Amino acid sequence: MGFFGRNLPYLLAGISVGGQYALIAVGYTMVYGILRLINFAHGDIFTAAGFFMVYIAATMPLTLAIPLVIVLTVLLGFTVERVAYKPLRSAPRMSIMISAIGVSYLLQNLMWYVTGGLAKQYPSIPWISNSITIGGATTKVVTIITPILTVALVIGLVQLINHTKIGMAMRAVSKDFETSKLMGIRINSVISMTFIIGSFLAAVGSMLYFTNYSTVTPTVGAMPGLKAFVAAVFGGIGSIPGAVIGAFVIGICENIIKALGLTTFSDAFTFALLIVILLFRPTGLFGEKTSEKV
Amino acid sequence: MKAVKIVLALLLVAAGCVMFAACKGADNGIAGLVERIGASGFVKESHLAENNRAKILKNIDKHLDELTVEGSDATELFLYRNAHYGVALGAFLAALGAAIAVCALCAREKVRRAALGLALVAALFAGLYALETALGDGSMLITVLKKGVIYALIAVSMNLLNGFTGLFSLGQAGFMLIGAYTYAIFTIPQEARAQVYQYFDGGLVQFTLPVLPAIVLAGVAAVVFAFLIGLPVLRLKGDYLAIATLGFAEIIRALFQYDKLGPVTNGSNLLRKFPTFDTVLFPFAVVAVCIAIILLLIHSSYGRAFKAIRDDEVAAEAMGINLFLHKQLSFVISSFFAGVGGALLAMYQTTVQANAFKSSMTYEILLIVVIGGMGSVTGSVIASFLFIACSEWLLRFLDVEQFIGSVQVPLLRSGFRMVVFSIVIMIVVLFFRKGIMGDKELSLSWLTGGKKRKEGAVK
Amino acid sequence: MSKNVLKVNDVTMQFGGVVAVNNLSMEVNEGEIVALIGPNGAGKTTIFNCITGVYEPTNGEVWFDGEQIAANHPQGKMKKLYAGENNDKYTKVLRLTPDKITQRGIARTFQNIRLFRTQTVFENVLIAMHCRRKSNVFTATFHLNWREERAMREETMKLLEIVGLTDEKDELATSLPYGKQRRLEIARALATKPKLLMLDEPAAGMNPQETVELAKFIVEIQRQFNLTVFLIEHHMDLVMGISNRIYVIDFGKKIAEGTPAEIQDNPDVIAAYLGVDEE
Repeated sequence: MGFFGRNLPYLLAGISVGGQYALIAVGYTMVYGILRLINFAHGDIFTAAGFFMVYIAATMPLTLAIPLVIVLTVLLGFTVERVAYKPLRSAPRMSIMISAIGVSYLLQNLMWYVTGGLAKQYPSIPWISNSITIGGATTKVVTIITPILTVALVIGLVQLINHTKIGMAMRAVSKDFETSKLMGIRINSVISMTFIIGSFLAAVGSMLYFTNYSTVTPTVGAMPGLKAFVAAVFGGIGSIPGAVIGAFVIGICENIIKALGLTTFSDAFTFALLIVILLFRPTGLFGEKTSEKV
Repeated sequence: MKAVKIVLALLLVAAGCVMFAACKGADNGIAGLVERIGASGFVKESHLAENNRAKILKNIDKHLDELTVEGSDATELFLYRNAHYGVALGAFLAALGAAIAVCALCAREKVRRAALGLALVAALFAGLYALETALGDGSMLITVLKKGVIYALIAVSMNLLNGFTGLFSLGQAGFMLIGAYTYAIFTIPQEARAQVYQYFDGGLVQFTLPVLPAIVLAGVAAVVFAFLIGLPVLRLKGDYLAIATLGFAEIIRALFQYDKLGPVTNGSNLLRKFPTFDTVLFPFAVVAVCIAIILLLIHSSYGRAFKAIRDDEVAAEAMGINLFLHKQLSFVISSFFAGVGGALLAMYQTTVQANAFKSSMTYEILLIVVIGGMGSVTGSVIASFLFIACSEWLLRFLDVEQFIGSVQVPLLRSGFRMVVFSIVIMIVVLFFRKGIMGDKELSLSWLTGGKKRKEGAVK
Repeated sequence: MSKNVLKVNDVTMQFGGVVAVNNLSMEVNEGEIVALIGPNGAGKTTIFNCITGVYEPTNGEVWFDGEQIAANHPQGKMKKLYAGENNDKYTKVLRLTPDKITQRGIARTFQNIRLFRTQTVFENVLIAMHCRRKSNVFTATFHLNWREERAMREETMKLLEIVGLTDEKDELATSLPYGKQRRLEIARALATKPKLLMLDEPAAGMNPQETVELAKFIVEIQRQFNLTVFLIEHHMDLVMGISNRIYVIDFGKKIAEGTPAEIQDNPDVIAAYLGVDEE
């Protein structure tokens, strides 16, 4: 076993986690692109998807449970937007951000209440939680599936954005909110659509993530949520390919740091990366520059 | 008119002093009193030596029938029994008298306001002192007051940054952590170090600082970090600043748990056995001083510059205000008080562990600031007490399963309190965006103003 | 010959491919009132922003009171994009932030009024005094600078009296009517104790009556504070009435300069404003 062989499990884990971050990061970056809002509640929607699965899989077969979980998560994302962000559309941006923090706080407390604060066992989804051996490293199928599924979903999403009417509306709104409103684009449905897509991807991401980590607690989504956000910033917030690349970079780097035996700093690294990128390229890898008119 | 006022003031001061002295005298003379009324047999020497009021009084009361308490002894016993209230009331009366005298002698609005403010503070402290002795240390109200006042300081420090300077920073938990650790590390007594730092050979720091210098040092440590962080981060705008400071707080948390720093920070183990406070007056005093300094700052030329930056950065810069310098100043000063707040929180908790200072702590403080009103110091203070009282105390009943007759009240069980609480917060955030106070302050002007009008009527 | 207060040498400001200001040179002498006019989008405000440090010019330099306050030459992406005549003339880079430039003695107002909206009229002016402070944060916090503070407050009252806003001093700045907000902006600019006052469309949105008053007011403060005034304006009556000299620009280029009388007869200016018939 050479250096590569020794570190292969970490690399694989990195790619897999990166894919899961990517699915969350797309939700962040799309919402930011359109509303200029850091949706702090997104990580908690991701956790909620995990709990939906825990409770639903206990009562019905997985073939029914999986679509139902996705529908419920999408509904949750949609409701959060309608209840907590829509009334504040004309308010200063700071108010919406605070509202997002409030929603995050509410969702966490709600989940704590429902679960009694205990960690719940995530149901194992057949096939993707099977073990598989690649190049001498044993891992779960999900590790291999994640990046493939992620890339496929993101390509689909980019197609949607570039080639459909609603996609065009999204691009227009992210370029200029006010003007697209004047041009007759129904802002509210575009924004809802953004939240629906973001929540859908978060639901898929949560299935992959929790298959890997197997327990769900009310606050478990906070950290991956923040990291996915960093990934979105790293890639240039508002840019979907940027978010995906950023997520993979962060996932892989994080696991390399774990391989080096500095596990304490794997979280800190992400934020150090964030601060460095903000200093040298505040708009991220693929972000657009904006300037204020005086 | 003036003469009457001064006489009244002097009388108040005199009454206050007499009361104070009498109660103190009763305190000191308790041994003599016990002997005189023939209670020596019932009261233990050790209780007398440490002046354990509750125990002494209990023993005297138990045998009251057998004792001869007459004349001046009765008065003295009464005074002793109520010495705490007497001392508090005496101090308050004296302060009130002094305030009235100052108001009568000095016509300047500012001075009168300050005098009234001081009288109110004296009343507050007297009230607290009485309350604490009446309720005892374990009372929930006292706990809420202790934690509430600490959060008040931290919320005000965050308000200075978010509400007054318009910098959306989410790093407060990081600075509190630095403050809490600095305080703990430098005040653990020498003899306890071996035990606390059991995995690190007693740790690296081998001296102990007194409490107050350590608290100041806690603030200074936070300032050092804030300065270094601020250099790069404060050039960022809006949300990016929020995320960068949030990230910084996470880095700090990881750093303080790092094994290799164990000899200083004790790694991921608890820090404990450092001095704590045993009276609610201590945190109130420290916080009062800190908030007074913040208020002075806000009302100075620099405070106005901060508000200008909040309102319009471009215009502020065009008016010759150095944006970076002022943002850095606000950031550093806010961090100082967050550090002090962290030290007080460590004292309140009696143990410190880095993992407790998560970003959710910052969120809580931010929510307090929002509920109180961005840009209102008094709002932040009121909201802190409300927030702590609700989350720790008033809504507790929601966590307990209850029955009406034989029917169980639905929903009530552990965790429901926080759900209700966060829904209330969301309602405030969505529908009462200005918070309790908006950007106004609860002020004394209605007190002094009212007085002025009355005087005008007399003339 | 009076000396130059402001000197703009070959300043170009390019945003990507858009040239907002093109090789512009101009000077303003001590004690003058100079107007900068031109059609909408001609680059007037951009020049103001280059002078006051809000923008970094792509090429050229700006001098104030005998000292350089801005200098730049094309760098990075601009090196390829920029194709000006004075490409090689400037090699120095100097960038002062707007606050440093204000401290040197240039004060400005904004085209779209930018008052401190949560502050009162009085506080708006008082804040502008901050840049001339001698106190540090400690002396200010503990109010050891009360003498300075009192002087600042007295001076603020004086300024408010001059602009005629004494009665409104405790009102919110943004609650004032438009014309008064403009006056307040001028008072605020004066509070920084400038040598050069730059007014960006001070009469915008005013009725003729107010405009006449404003013209009088500008001349008055120019005399009283010993100022040099450089202003952008569209109201020709005001410009022609009070300016000593006028610069006209169009598409970022200077197309004419001279006294009001000379400008009025200049065919290029007329063409720029009214368009030329192309046969």
